[in-house]
Amino acid sequence: MEGLKQKLSENILDKFSMDFLRNQVLKNAYGNDDTVIARLDPRILLVWYLFFAVVPWFSDNLVFLAASFLLVAVTTILARVAGLVLFLFGIGVFAQTGYLFLVSLFFGGNAQTILPLLVLTLKVATVSLASITVFSGLDPDRLSNGLMWYGCPERLSFSISYAYRMLPMLMEEFQNVLLSYRLRGCAPDASTFMGKIRNLIYQVKVIIHSFYPLMLNTAKRSRTTVEALELKGYRYAAVNKEVKRMKLASLRVTNDDLLFLAVSVFWIALAVLVNTLL
Amino acid sequence: MTGKKTATQSQKLMVFVLTMSLYGLATLFTELIPKFQVGIVEFSVEYFLFIPLTLAMLFDPMSAALGAATGELVFSEIMLGQFGGLGELEKFITVTIGVYIAGRMVKNPKNAKMVGIAAMTGVILQLLMGTVVDILKVQFAVTDFEAVPGLPESVFATEGFAFLNDVLFSGILFCLLPTLFLVPKLYGKIEPLLGMWPRTEETALGGVNGKVIAGSLIGFAVAVGAEMMAESGLSLIDWEASWAESGTALAAGMAAAAALAVITLLVIRKRGSVEA
Repeated sequence: MEGLKQKLSENILDKFSMDFLRNQVLKNAYGNDDTVIARLDPRILLVWYLFFAVVPWFSDNLVFLAASFLLVAVTTILARVAGLVLFLFGIGVFAQTGYLFLVSLFFGGNAQTILPLLVLTLKVATVSLASITVFSGLDPDRLSNGLMWYGCPERLSFSISYAYRMLPMLMEEFQNVLLSYRLRGCAPDASTFMGKIRNLIYQVKVIIHSFYPLMLNTAKRSRTTVEALELKGYRYAAVNKEVKRMKLASLRVTNDDLLFLAVSVFWIALAVLVNTLL
Repeated sequence: MTGKKTATQSQKLMVFVLTMSLYGLATLFTELIPKFQVGIVEFSVEYFLFIPLTLAMLFDPMSAALGAATGELVFSEIMLGQFGGLGELEKFITVTIGVYIAGRMVKNPKNAKMVGIAAMTGVILQLLMGTVVDILKVQFAVTDFEAVPGLPESVFATEGFAFLNDVLFSGILFCLLPTLFLVPKLYGKIEPLLGMWPRTEETALGGVNGKVIAGSLIGFAVAVGAEMMAESGLSLIDWEASWAESGTALAAGMAAAAALAVITLLVIRKRGSVEA
């Protein structure tokens, strides 16, 4: 039993190594640009997202909510989202509503409390799955182009593209700094309970200390980035209509996009129809 | 180099990029690291807010504040697909206000007392605004909020407790202490890397004045307004829903039209692929 427990915790710790996190994030960002969802036009997908991000909040109709949930669940499967993201989604939904349910039981709630909370859970789940579909299913560049088409500030599109490109490097650098601190330091003995607490404090301290070199390095890097951008005239290009038009010329609404929209509308209309018949 | 003590546009962009990447990376980790709970007390590494706080105290506060909010939005929300729509606007605004005010409060980064007060003020402001909006959000999402036994109390209790817990745990451990450690250490070292002069009494933008407070209040009003919009939108959609429910024929028509569109598009697609 003891051995099994140890093995299990080792397994979980293995899973949560820095490399695993990095791989999952990268896979999420770049690993699935060949899915049905990734090939859709970002503008269409953003409109679609807007519907499923807003409307479920205002509806208390179980049939409609269940239908929306099913639809976004299917699109999430189609987008082939990384496992870690789905895991986080599960935790997030529980943290938002499951926890609330437990506490309301504590305050004298009963089975009656379940129904409103089920509605709330469905809403939260639908909205988050829709966002997972759109924001992890789409290629970052296409996403930022789509946002730009809708007139989002250039700064945001730039941030998205920059973040996806820099993240692997930043993560690696953070890991290197962290490891070098660990190599040079001496972690406290973690066999006793007090030792475990001391170890935790030590680990947190190392993380905070490692931000010192990281901040200096990133400062240098961001100066280089901005100077390179300035050389290319970024700040003028960002507000220039001609540049924007050229950048967005690659976006094209195809038949598949319309089909995707039509199927979604059909499904939701069907749900409304079923609801009126019931 | 003479004279120029305030940041230029490109230096502001540097500060923006710097804060965005660092805080984004940190929030990405906090999003990935599972929280652990001991009883009802939640130990989460919720806040790496010390990063933007430190940078806002050393550099231009507005760029740092916007960078932090954007970084969080892009790295931990959009990249992980956790984008929550309207709710993110609220987080964006509260983080910006908290960091900006903390940055404005510090005139001389060498003054440890002021740095500490500013760091705590920033965290408490951010958390307090978040708590208020959170309570409102649940009240709007569950329509018969008052009717559910035990729900109102539990919402107030969990939110209030989370607030205190965050202030005591994340606020002191992850904001106050690291900021006190990092600000004096980085002061005078990190500014030359961006080609700037360190902040002194003379070059500081000046403390928090009426204009900053008014701006923050407007920002917070926008954050709450997003939630209020939800309430007024509620009746709008309700009206639409009742209108849709009364007309079975209408819903049937809609479904039929959509089905027709699907079939037409499928046919067109098939033809297209045959030709291609």
